[in-house]
Amino acid sequence: MTTPAIELVDVGKRYGGLQAVESVTLAVAPGERRVLIGPNGAGKTTLFHCVTGTVRASSGRIRLFGTDVTRLDEASRTRLGMGRTFQISNVFMDLTVVENVLLALLGKDRRKWTTYRTLRTYAQMHEQALDRLAVVGLQARANETVRLLSYGERRQLELALALATAPRVLFLDEPCAGLSPSERQLLSQLIAGLPRDITLLMIEHDMDVALALADRVTVLHRGKVILEGSPDEVQADPEVREVYFGHV
Amino acid sequence: MERKHLIAWSVVAVAIAALLPLVAGPFWVALLTQMFIFGLLALSVDLLLGHAGLFSLCHAAFFSVAAYTTAILQVRYGVSTALAAPAGIVAGTLLGLVFGLSVRTRGVYFILITIALGYIVWGVAYRWSSFTGGDNGVTNVPRPTIAGFELESMTSYYYFMLAVIVLSLLAYRVLVASPFGLTLRGIKTSETRMTSVGFRPNRHLYAAFVLSAAIASFAGVLYVYYNRFVNPVSASFPISVEAVLMAIVGGSGTIVGPLLGSGIVLALRNWVSSFFELHAAVMGLVFIAVVLWAPNGLVGLLASLRANRRAAR
Repeated sequence: MTTPAIELVDVGKRYGGLQAVESVTLAVAPGERRVLIGPNGAGKTTLFHCVTGTVRASSGRIRLFGTDVTRLDEASRTRLGMGRTFQISNVFMDLTVVENVLLALLGKDRRKWTTYRTLRTYAQMHEQALDRLAVVGLQARANETVRLLSYGERRQLELALALATAPRVLFLDEPCAGLSPSERQLLSQLIAGLPRDITLLMIEHDMDVALALADRVTVLHRGKVILEGSPDEVQADPEVREVYFGHV
Repeated sequence: MERKHLIAWSVVAVAIAALLPLVAGPFWVALLTQMFIFGLLALSVDLLLGHAGLFSLCHAAFFSVAAYTTAILQVRYGVSTALAAPAGIVAGTLLGLVFGLSVRTRGVYFILITIALGYIVWGVAYRWSSFTGGDNGVTNVPRPTIAGFELESMTSYYYFMLAVIVLSLLAYRVLVASPFGLTLRGIKTSETRMTSVGFRPNRHLYAAFVLSAAIASFAGVLYVYYNRFVNPVSASFPISVEAVLMAIVGGSGTIVGPLLGSGIVLALRNWVSSFFELHAAVMGLVFIAVVLWAPNGLVGLLASLRANRRAAR
């Protein structure tokens, strides 16, 4: 078996008396698109935070392409190739759209320490930023302040920021949350159109979006993995139907 | 504002400032010189406040340590200006390297720690009288000679300060538009997002803090040569507060705002104190009015008036 892109071994997270995530073990192959589903409070976002380094896991190991990243901070994990989006839009509201992407490009670039030269003079970096915006369809709004963007456009920008760090593994935390049906369709098409060399791990509540994108699905319930399988298998499973949809 | 308008206005402002000593009396020349010096101090505070989002209340510490270092070296040990002035800047910056560790905290904790650090320096200046001269401070600091120009007269020092402030603002303009400047604004807006795209915000904030301390130290050295003495007042808490207020009144996060704020605060204090003993209370009311009705300072107020006029057209 090839080295998994991302591998979790017995990852747990405890907040005081609450065991938010309890010993999760899973492996995602390079290039795979994995969707994480589960009812509210199942521990999906907490698990994401542990994997990307936003919070430290209380127990277990996390490996990225075989490299143990359990003890690394979030910035180091980003440099090794993890990218993420947030469940609640987290973009730079007071900056322009293109400045947002420039910051994401600077994150892994030593030139972020430059003080004696204005950013405007980096023509190549600007072009690169506009290219990244074109991917998510926002190039026409490059010079707007993010505050003036619609919620849907902010979600697109959120994706552009994650992609600008050139991630090998991309973590998407409910990318379509709160969007209208048409915006939802646009964004899921964007995600479906991502190159296959980016491994995807995505939390999604919307079953249609989730099942259309996923190669495999992992079901989380009360901090534990209760099932892993193909979208069809998961949909047909009686236990999943019970915890996820309630009694039918 | 458009680029060509901006350049035109800047040239006009500098030309007026250059011609001013020909028509205005020594009172105005002195006031503007102070405005430049404290404008630089306000600028150093605003690098943190307006760009990085850190509210520092200890900048009088760097300002005064630089002033004391230069004064003591020059007056007591006869060190030349060419060494005493840089030594002042180095001393204040070194203090910034230590105090800068406070960027590990945020919000109200950062404010409280900086207040405490500021009081330490004031306490030392005030109580260690054998070294600092206590209440009397250090007096008789000679005015410097730079590249053959004696800065003995008030007018010559005024022109020197005008050149310093113009060059400082030009450099500051590049700094805040640089990748480093944008990074600070990113941290101010969303630290979690910065971390997730690969930044370590504390390192950038620390660098900004030390740079800010260096600018405040520079202002301190310029102050001691202007004032020709330094006493514990320059290390006191009100100076730190005033620097912040100057930045806010002028327009925090802008380039000329802190300088304009410095002019407003100094002019107002001079004017009010000439006929009213409770001038500090009047200043307080002015600041409340600014926070309530012009939270973005003078620059913000002018910008919104312009926008309104354009919209009405």
